[in-house]
Amino acid sequence: MRPWLLLAPSLVVLAVLLLWPLARVALISFQDYGLREIVSGRTNYIGAANYLEVFRDPQLWRVVLPNTLGFAVAAVAGTVLLGTLVALLLTTLNRLWRTVVSSAIMVAWAMPAVTGTYVWVWIFDADNGLVGQLLQGLGILDEPHNWFTDRWSFYAVVLVNVIHHGFPFVAITVLAGLLGVSKEMLEAATVDGAGSIRRFFSITFPTLRPVFAVVVILSTIWDFKVFAQIYLMPGGSGSNRSVFNLGVWSYVESFAQNRYGFGSAIAVLLTVLLLIISVVYVRTLFKEEK
Amino acid sequence: MKRSMAVTAVAALALTACGNGDGSGAEGETLSVWIMEGTNPDAGEFFEDVKADFKKETGATLDVEFVQWADAHDKFVTSIAGNTTPDVAETGTTWTAEFADAGALAPLDEQVQDAGLKDDLVEGLAEAGTLDDTLYGMPWYAGVRSVVYRTDIFEELGLEPPTTWDELLETGLALESAKPELTPFAVPGDSANLAYPFIWGNGAELATQDGGKWTSGLDSPEAREGLQFYTDLALTHGLSSAGATTWNEKDVLDNFVKGNLPMATMGSWAMPTILEQNPDLEGKIGAFPIPGPDGGYSPSFLGGSHLSVFEASKKQELAWEFVEMMTTGDKAAEWAEQTNYFPGQASLLEKSTGSEDPMVAPFATQMVEAGAAVPVAPGWGAVEAKKTLPAMIQSILAGDKSVDEATADAAAEIEELLNGK
Repeated sequence: MRPWLLLAPSLVVLAVLLLWPLARVALISFQDYGLREIVSGRTNYIGAANYLEVFRDPQLWRVVLPNTLGFAVAAVAGTVLLGTLVALLLTTLNRLWRTVVSSAIMVAWAMPAVTGTYVWVWIFDADNGLVGQLLQGLGILDEPHNWFTDRWSFYAVVLVNVIHHGFPFVAITVLAGLLGVSKEMLEAATVDGAGSIRRFFSITFPTLRPVFAVVVILSTIWDFKVFAQIYLMPGGSGSNRSVFNLGVWSYVESFAQNRYGFGSAIAVLLTVLLLIISVVYVRTLFKEEK
Repeated sequence: MKRSMAVTAVAALALTACGNGDGSGAEGETLSVWIMEGTNPDAGEFFEDVKADFKKETGATLDVEFVQWADAHDKFVTSIAGNTTPDVAETGTTWTAEFADAGALAPLDEQVQDAGLKDDLVEGLAEAGTLDDTLYGMPWYAGVRSVVYRTDIFEELGLEPPTTWDELLETGLALESAKPELTPFAVPGDSANLAYPFIWGNGAELATQDGGKWTSGLDSPEAREGLQFYTDLALTHGLSSAGATTWNEKDVLDNFVKGNLPMATMGSWAMPTILEQNPDLEGKIGAFPIPGPDGGYSPSFLGGSHLSVFEASKKQELAWEFVEMMTTGDKAAEWAEQTNYFPGQASLLEKSTGSEDPMVAPFATQMVEAGAAVPVAPGWGAVEAKKTLPAMIQSILAGDKSVDEATADAAAEIEELLNGK
């Protein structure tokens, strides 16, 4: 009984701040819930109609889901790879340079997503952007090109933005793990003639498996529900329908269309999808460890 | 934890109840007001005056909060849901019907009648603020878009403001060859308002109601021809820029301020904003009504703002006093003068439309001769929010769809949204 008593305050806070809103979203997803219902506070249950509409919408299968999944895979891979490489670089530096480099990447991490997004939009601006002018100067592009109209180039910019914002967390976390890797084992392996790649995959990576598990799961969750970085890009808030992902679609349907039930159904779908991925991932990880 | 929250809630209720106990005088009361900002010129100073005058007149304090146009719709909805609405707010003309339909706004007919203002409201604005024969939005100001241009550049090249679509194209081409570094006529992908004149101008309608059913005219030959001309300015004639494919109206304004655009469609309120941000352009800007295909004018979107009182407000009387002070008489005239908007009171509007000020007159002509409203349907807000028209224009400009495909898709979406699913 006593442990529950001690846990009670935090559980109450969690229930109020997390569980209740979550339950509300689930409840609303089974209703035709619009501005009128918000004002009056009435309920209006319609069963699973919102979910049926979501699954029957060709936009889900052709645009939203491929965008969400494809982007998450690319962004997680990119973030973890770059983060790990930077962490490995940091271990080889002396104290001064390690401080300099880690402060530099901390700046990228500390930058708010909104600010970061506007900076990248500016860099890729069609008429006056750095990238466009560079490519034109080099003669690769003949005339200004708008990077935000095409689905692929749009997401390439989002990818650069998200990786740039996300890799510092991975680098710092992996660095902490790297510092715990036994130096004796690495030295012994070097004496036995193992190269740096072999040493990484045979000694460093297995030791860091739990660290990688954490950064991959967290990055997956973050990259799945990426919103501001897409919504704030030119065309990202609705005028370019080919770049919607689950988060933006849910927001646009809820807050622009006042279809809170339908938007909630999309949000629930996103949550369930994330839960499944996380569970499967954690399971395979622990199975391998046994 | 829960208990203490409940106690606080009860205490808060008790407090508000006390606050509204005595009805006599507004001494010490506070009226909360939301005013929009973003494309409007800076209104901070104007509202300092309003606050002082309101205090003098009623004894109540005004709490004015400025809300960005871009975030305002979400902010209204969340405040309605959380029961934290202000007493009075500026609502865009296309939103008033939507919020009224949801039951969030208080009817104003009685007060308007008592104040003897009923026949002195600008018609288009009053119509947009009316749902089921009840007025929910008090006309405050109106704005209309025309073409703003650089008089110095036109003079240098010996150009005259165009009066037909062909002349518009010729003027654009002349600017292009003389000043290749400029973007002669921006065709922004993320703005429906700037595309309307090319639909209406060619005789097409966005949507018409017949027997309770809405039909969109976007896929009519007239609309297609107009949009073909509009998008060809960018695609065939290169008068726009690659970046403009994803521009919105704010981007058009920013680029005009920077001096990149010799002419562009903008609202009358943009004039003081341009001069505020780039004083070097003083005396170098003018405006002309959007030309019609073969002369005359193309109708332009007549937008504007209402002042609405929220149903949940416990200070309805005080709220109306504020609304009346803002939308009539000196304050209304002063606001129109400072912002270059048109007042929502008919007797005041007559004065501005007779103005010979070159910064006002072309817009007045546009408003009186060729101002048009979007369909008055509660579902039109959803069409705007879904960005149906921007999506259509952007897909044409990006080369993803032909004019025929894009207009067919947009017409189907508009009919679906207006007729309800």
